[in-house]
Amino acid sequence: MFSTLLEQVVNGIVTGSVYAIVAVGMTMIFGVLRAINFAHGEYYMLGTFGAWFATDYLGLSYEASIVVGVLSTVVVAYVVGQLVMRRMVGAPAESGVLATLGVALILQNTVIFVFGGGYKFFSGGYIEPVSILGFTLAEQRIIILVVCLLVFVGLELMVTYSRLGMAMRAVSQNVECCGVVGIDVPQVVLRTFVLGAALAALSGVLTAPVNVSVYGGMGELITFKTLPIIIMGGLGNVRGTFVAAMILGIAESLVATYIGLQYRDTVGFATLILMLMWRPHGLFSTQARF
Amino acid sequence: MSLTDTAPQARRRDLRIPLAAILVVAALAAPFIGTRYVTHSLIIALIFMLPAHGLNLLVGYTGLLSLAQAAFFGIGAYTAGLLAVHYDTPFYVNLLAAGLVSGLLALPLGIPALRLRATSFVMCTLGFVIIGQAIAKNWISVTRGDMGLSGIPKPYFELGPLSFTVTGTTSFYYLALAVAALGTLAAWAIVRSPAGRNMVAIRENETLAESLGVPTWRYKLIVFMISAAFAGVGGSLYAHYLTVVSPLTFQMYYSTTMLIIVLGGGAGMISGTVFGSLLFVGLTEALRVAPEVRMIAYGFCLLVLVFWFKKGFAPLINRFWNAIGGSK
Amino acid sequence: MTRTITRRFLLVSAAVVSTTIGAGSMTTVNAAETIKLGIVAPMSGPNARYGGFSMHGAELAVKDINDAGGINGMKIELFNADSQGTPVEGVSATRRLIDQDEVSFIIGDVSSSVTLAMQPVAEDAEVLLLNAASSNPKITYQAGVGGFKWTYRNYPTDENRALVVAKYAAEQRGFTKFAVLSVDSDYGRSAVTFTKKYLPDFKGEILSEDYYKEGEVDFRSVLAKIRDNGAQAIIMYGLADTTPIIARQILELGLAGKVTLIGNGEFNTEKTIKAAPKAMEGAIEAAAWLPQYDSPASKAFVEKFTAAYNEAPNNHAYVHWDTVNLLAQAIKEAGSADKEAVREALSKIKYKSPVGDVTFDDHNQARLPMILLQIENGKPSIKGAYTAEIQYPAN
Repeated sequence: MFSTLLEQVVNGIVTGSVYAIVAVGMTMIFGVLRAINFAHGEYYMLGTFGAWFATDYLGLSYEASIVVGVLSTVVVAYVVGQLVMRRMVGAPAESGVLATLGVALILQNTVIFVFGGGYKFFSGGYIEPVSILGFTLAEQRIIILVVCLLVFVGLELMVTYSRLGMAMRAVSQNVECCGVVGIDVPQVVLRTFVLGAALAALSGVLTAPVNVSVYGGMGELITFKTLPIIIMGGLGNVRGTFVAAMILGIAESLVATYIGLQYRDTVGFATLILMLMWRPHGLFSTQARF
Repeated sequence: MSLTDTAPQARRRDLRIPLAAILVVAALAAPFIGTRYVTHSLIIALIFMLPAHGLNLLVGYTGLLSLAQAAFFGIGAYTAGLLAVHYDTPFYVNLLAAGLVSGLLALPLGIPALRLRATSFVMCTLGFVIIGQAIAKNWISVTRGDMGLSGIPKPYFELGPLSFTVTGTTSFYYLALAVAALGTLAAWAIVRSPAGRNMVAIRENETLAESLGVPTWRYKLIVFMISAAFAGVGGSLYAHYLTVVSPLTFQMYYSTTMLIIVLGGGAGMISGTVFGSLLFVGLTEALRVAPEVRMIAYGFCLLVLVFWFKKGFAPLINRFWNAIGGSK
Repeated sequence: MTRTITRRFLLVSAAVVSTTIGAGSMTTVNAAETIKLGIVAPMSGPNARYGGFSMHGAELAVKDINDAGGINGMKIELFNADSQGTPVEGVSATRRLIDQDEVSFIIGDVSSSVTLAMQPVAEDAEVLLLNAASSNPKITYQAGVGGFKWTYRNYPTDENRALVVAKYAAEQRGFTKFAVLSVDSDYGRSAVTFTKKYLPDFKGEILSEDYYKEGEVDFRSVLAKIRDNGAQAIIMYGLADTTPIIARQILELGLAGKVTLIGNGEFNTEKTIKAAPKAMEGAIEAAAWLPQYDSPASKAFVEKFTAAYNEAPNNHAYVHWDTVNLLAQAIKEAGSADKEAVREALSKIKYKSPVGDVTFDDHNQARLPMILLQIENGKPSIKGAYTAEIQYPAN
């Protein structure tokens, strides 16, 4: 009984770390732009497609395909950032919703148009199971856990000490003042956006071996999973996002075990609404910033 | 412009009344002008116009961005569908019940949701759609789950000697036109009333409105309920027209469709929403010319709308309206 | 200023209106010599992963028929319309095909709720609607003598499938303890409902019941639960692209060999088996078709499809390809492309599909041979083919 519970918690943490890497990019973008990015999952999809293309068409190894997937997404994200995201500085929330939806439609359906709508199988990575603490996990999942921890430590350091990190924090506090002290706000937005998209792509490439199926519409689901996380974590809050992603991962895992898998996709929004009833400003901030 | 320019120019005639008359005639004659496909597209525009009016009251007038419209649309569709399938009730009963059930359910949902601000509110309303779909899928004894309700009967009226069933696309068009026209009138009456001005006050500055004695909380809650009722009425038309209601009715795609209609036409303007629903349906149907790239083109249209027509088409409609109004 | 904006506004609206109207007049091909066939399928959004295969299957069949000189000299002209997998868009697409493109025959849609919404539209316009991929029983309950005269379905319903699988699993393999893990759709749910109806006859019991949402990728929690409750077999009526994910996670949890997948969801394709050979070993599936099926026509189809589109065909590709061929034979037997005559011919047809003979019952439901197979040594091995009459509820 207890070992089942423990195993499910571990499963939840593994799932949560996938969500965390995607969500942290989204939350940083929100921090500087105050816009919900409904296209965020599409970068996850692009990363996966890039890697699939690299292994299937170019015959590259899985390690090389990670690089291809992330870099190709960075290129796309840079273009989208220049053409769309920069313009969204100071735009009202509803424009942000429509613009990012438009981007999501374009990216998703362009991939479908170019590569065909059918699903593809991803055949790379380390899927052999290993036994730890009495349960078995695919090696790939351990890689995901480790990468997730590295990403968060790195982001924490970057946000605290690096120039871009400080600029990001400044922009998320007060856009007008940033203009006054000479911070190039659109530039900060662009860089944050590209970084966030790259993280989403990384998450996509890392999970591809265990998720196997690759298709153009796969990003949408991830977008919907990460939306409640970024709100729960407190928008723009890196550490909060990590904790919220873990909570959601574990909650989903427990619901799937004890209630039924069919309720799983509802867990995110149900938890979010319950949490908002209790703390309307998110788990980690004492007052609403946005 | 110098002062002398204000001297009266040649008087132009006020073309607004003839234009309005032409529009009314065009709306009434539409099924006889176009093919059934055109009539069908217009019906879709009319069905979506109702929830869009509701959303406009929220977004355009009260300043609350909600994605919950699809949830209330779905609730209305299920209410009407269940009544029609199980009790074979007349259309107006289904329609009123759909509006009432959606509007009343908005009360317990709105109370917690409206305490939230900005992004949290948006996400909470999106959550209603997602949870609504899960309920529709799993409450099998009532909704039949994923099998959905199908074979919903044609709408019929039972008014003593004047009983009739609406059959065929053309008749349904007139039914939808009548409901949409009433809905538009209702929306217009709401925003023209003193309540409408208070709603705008809340949108512009909630704190100031509160200090001036506007019961902002109660207003927001009531507008949320009214907008849900509009969505429910739209849902009842949807159920009867498509004859199928499935959990797919609860999807964000419909919520964003309604948002696109409101913002595309111009938020905070009744005629904007009317124009928006026609524009939206016209655009998505026109893009069927190229099915493979249809949604890509649609995505680009959204970007054009957001960045080049920031206020939707409302300013253009306004200017056009004033321009043909003749000089005074 | 006012004037320029007004003019721009007029131009924009004129452009929208003229594209809407103008689109219709572009397709004026000589109607007497072509057969207009419309296909409604999800071609954008997440469901495009099924619509893509459907389109390719139909395109391939049309191309082959036209290259061989058409049907009685008439060429088929294919129109595709996007349903996005939603009823509203599906009905709009159908309306457009009927009124604008003036098609006489429509094949569609994948999603059952879209098909159900299309039925009255096709009936109203008296256009032949051939469904090739929706399994909701309601579609043919209300077709033929049930009401809709113009709807035909060339796709198996779930009832037959559920019975065949449950019987084999219980009698030949001796399974008594089952866990359900099916897709959360009308297909998954109704197949399981039918299984539950027959399972008591074989002394089987269901220990747990779970449904996954389309696109779900994480099954570790559910599989751990199944491992702990000791089920011998997982009843899985699932999606083709999810089967390999589940198979891999069965492997990951060390369940391979301890629990067997039974049901349907492309267990038999090379790619699925390759994803997790040990987990798929022994799996039992009832399928309308499988790529390795040993008949010349089937083999030729797989070869041509793979050559044309650079990927192996799946079930959706096959059923759409097959349905176009079925329609072609009906037109040939009718002697003309007249809708009424073709419908008559279809009701009486005896069509030889690559798998076996196909006929239609009085509900316009195809009597299709169902192949039962078991994965043995990493290869599907055919255990028999079954055809059964559908029992329609009396009303």
